[in-house]
Amino acid sequence: MSHLSNPLASAAQLFSRTSDNALPIELQDSIRFYTARLTQAAGILLRFPQDITAQANVLLHRYWLMDDLMQHEFSDVSAATIYLTAKMSASPRSLRSITNVYAYLLSPSSSLASDTDPKNDPSSYYLSESTYIARRNRLLHIEGQILAALGFNTHVALPHPLAITYLQTLDAFHGKGGKAVAQKTVQYLNTALLSPQMLYLTHQPCALATAAIYLASREAGVKMPENEWWEVFDTEREELGFLVVGMKSLEGIAQEARERYGGGAMISRDDIRQELRKMGLVPGGGPGSGDAVEDEEAEMARMLDAKVSA
Amino acid sequence: MALPSQGASPSAIEGSPRTFAKEHQRPQNTFSGCSRITDYEVLGKLGEGTFGEVHRARSRKTGAVVALKKILMHNEKDGFPITALREIKLLKLLSHPNVLKLEEMAVEHHQKSTDKRKRAIMYMVTPYMDHDLSGLLENPSVTFTEPQIKCYLLQLLEGLRYLHDNHILHRDMKAANLLINNQGILQIADFGLARHYDEEVPRAGHGGGEARRDYTTLVVTRWYRPPELLLHLRKYTTAIDVWGVGCVFGEMLIGKPILSGDSDANQLKIIFDLVGTPTDDTMPGWRSLPGAEGLNFRPQPSSLSQRFRDYGSGAISLLRELLKLDWKKRINAIDALEHPYFKNDPLPARAGDIPTFEESHELDRRKFRGQKAAPPPAPKGGTVGTGPGGWGGESNGNQGFGDRDSYGHRPHQNGSRYPADGNGAYRNSQPQETRRPPAWRRDDRPDNRPDTRLPPRPPPVDHVGVWTDTGRPIQDGYRDRDRLPRSRAGGGIGSGGVGGGGARSDVDTYIPTYGPDAGRRDDRARDDRRRRDDRDDRDDRRRDRGGRIDYDDRRKGSGDDRSRNSRTRSRSRSPIRDRGRASMERDRDVYRR
Repeated sequence: MSHLSNPLASAAQLFSRTSDNALPIELQDSIRFYTARLTQAAGILLRFPQDITAQANVLLHRYWLMDDLMQHEFSDVSAATIYLTAKMSASPRSLRSITNVYAYLLSPSSSLASDTDPKNDPSSYYLSESTYIARRNRLLHIEGQILAALGFNTHVALPHPLAITYLQTLDAFHGKGGKAVAQKTVQYLNTALLSPQMLYLTHQPCALATAAIYLASREAGVKMPENEWWEVFDTEREELGFLVVGMKSLEGIAQEARERYGGGAMISRDDIRQELRKMGLVPGGGPGSGDAVEDEEAEMARMLDAKVSA
Repeated sequence: MALPSQGASPSAIEGSPRTFAKEHQRPQNTFSGCSRITDYEVLGKLGEGTFGEVHRARSRKTGAVVALKKILMHNEKDGFPITALREIKLLKLLSHPNVLKLEEMAVEHHQKSTDKRKRAIMYMVTPYMDHDLSGLLENPSVTFTEPQIKCYLLQLLEGLRYLHDNHILHRDMKAANLLINNQGILQIADFGLARHYDEEVPRAGHGGGEARRDYTTLVVTRWYRPPELLLHLRKYTTAIDVWGVGCVFGEMLIGKPILSGDSDANQLKIIFDLVGTPTDDTMPGWRSLPGAEGLNFRPQPSSLSQRFRDYGSGAISLLRELLKLDWKKRINAIDALEHPYFKNDPLPARAGDIPTFEESHELDRRKFRGQKAAPPPAPKGGTVGTGPGGWGGESNGNQGFGDRDSYGHRPHQNGSRYPADGNGAYRNSQPQETRRPPAWRRDDRPDNRPDTRLPPRPPPVDHVGVWTDTGRPIQDGYRDRDRLPRSRAGGGIGSGGVGGGGARSDVDTYIPTYGPDAGRRDDRARDDRRRRDDRDDRDDRRRDRGGRIDYDDRRKGSGDDRSRNSRTRSRSRSPIRDRGRASMERDRDVYRR
């Protein structure tokens, strides 16, 4: 049984999904980053234990390695993964809670949106019954797409508990800064979830945990053994180096995204299409065109649903 | 970023979406998506029973023969059925020669463009197994030799050891869930009720250990349900699966299920008949179990060695270990594998040496049975949420097999496992609440057709009354609960609470009402009138009752019945649809625990 390891993305998968994609890599990066961040925010508002949110984000990255990024609205994919993950966990949430939380997060009132506290305007995130039903159906549709794309590989092993075990093994909790190291370690692990480099798809939990501990202990000034202690945890020096760089690089990515899109809570497919136009690339080529048809269909279904529910 | 990021993007935009899609098909290994149903050549339906639809198919890629189990999507409100999701997730993590392997998931898209909006159909792909143990044992042309039994039992224990070692409770151990192929390999299947086990795994020499947390007791098919579950122990352990192994072992020896109780109370009785009544010695702590309250019986010794005397002392010794009342001392799979039974002559057969048999599937058999004891047609509108034939309450056949088909229709999330086709095996994993109210199904039938169904047979009375000496009947689950709607006049439903203090409430509430109930059944008009009356004078009756001691009340006979009846009715006002849904909700909650 593979409780401690994850299926990893193959190099070919990573290559074809990122390099041969219709979207420039920097746009893909921002989509992955923004959506994962949205999932994290929703996880907090839905009062999920972090492991559910973390698993949802891993599933999100896995799904986008299998299916096209522009296939569905990003926030919908985020909501569907979080719904699916929660459903399988010990703390499921209703679709209504989830749609409400996403409505809030995507509204101008969302505190995710800006640095200053926005004016709270409940009407901006009110969901009418028909909108709710339309969203619900959309999420359920995407849920099926995700399951099919993942081949039902929904098990996600997380590095968080491993990291704690490793810290105990390293006797990190005996010294002064033990608690601080543990906290930083978990922070790094959670930050890595948002990374468009999809570190959780390229490395096993043991390596992620080791790298996070490495970074955290350096920052907290806690001494680690002199020797190559990471090898005890099945992590090679090269791997460790890569992950350390990867984990540190998110700040730059976030900065860049902020400059490009402003301080918004989330980007949508329209934002991406706009960016494509700015770059002189015509959106709607590639997989985007099939998408438009899909949307029309969805529109019809939504209207029908609304009629039925009215 | 590890990947080359320069200059890759613009070129990819060229070309049609279709060529793009072709170029970017999912890789076959690592985490790949589902395969398509077209990757399989369907060879025909294997059966349509408890499992929903199961097809035999051949993989076009590998040529392997597989079984395709369709996941039915009855209740799409919550998306993909949670039970199926759990089962799939678990199976994906497991890998053992004696555990049925989930090869992959296959998806069938709707062909017609008009169906495009419909959900795709999902199939679970598992290796094809020729038999299930239950079907094999029923096949009159098959007799098991002792080496063969030992061989199967060893494999079963190996599989179970693996499961328990990986923190998994199967919770539905039974012959029908053990698949056997013509290579003599046995595999444990059906993980729909399985869950993660949060406790220490069993260790050699330490039995099942102890559990710290509560689990739902609404698990395990009754005939294989251990006494501690029947007595509602919530902190149960891996020992519950071991009891099931004992039942299966006995079933292999005798050729039919050894403990086929027709109610939970009866199940306990026949268990105690076989292994002796519990004492503080044989089952420490049993008195304090919730289900033991009010339980009373004449002490009697174990008849196990007598009943299995033909099979030798080794078999008896192992069986006694597996069917030990004390769940803490019950042998675990690790130790059972070391039992002398497997080391004494005749030695276990090698899997490859076992003769091959003609295919036999429990599902075929059940289908056949279903015809024999086909339930009456479903009332219109009464089946929302539970599927056709979802009246748990009609007992329509003999008390044996046919009858068992009539309960256990729960509004199941994953219809593929228990389609309400009238043949469903009873899976007692349903919360009491959901099974109880079917009174409405009849009473609120929208079309008001006269009820022409035959009244059900009375239950066997030989055992009732022995088991309870306080007013609280044994928390008797499934059968009796299911039967309640029938006795709506008699108010089996309320009996537990109403009869507080009265002895043998189960006898009293059922028997006297059987007649009037049956008589009334054909007369809808009168029934309706009565219903109204009941509502009017219900309060009086309540007051009435307050002053009486209960057995008096009981003697009142039909009058009392009516008051209970009215209460039953008032509970059933909610629209069918809501009730179905609500029960489903509850059902699901059980699984989450």
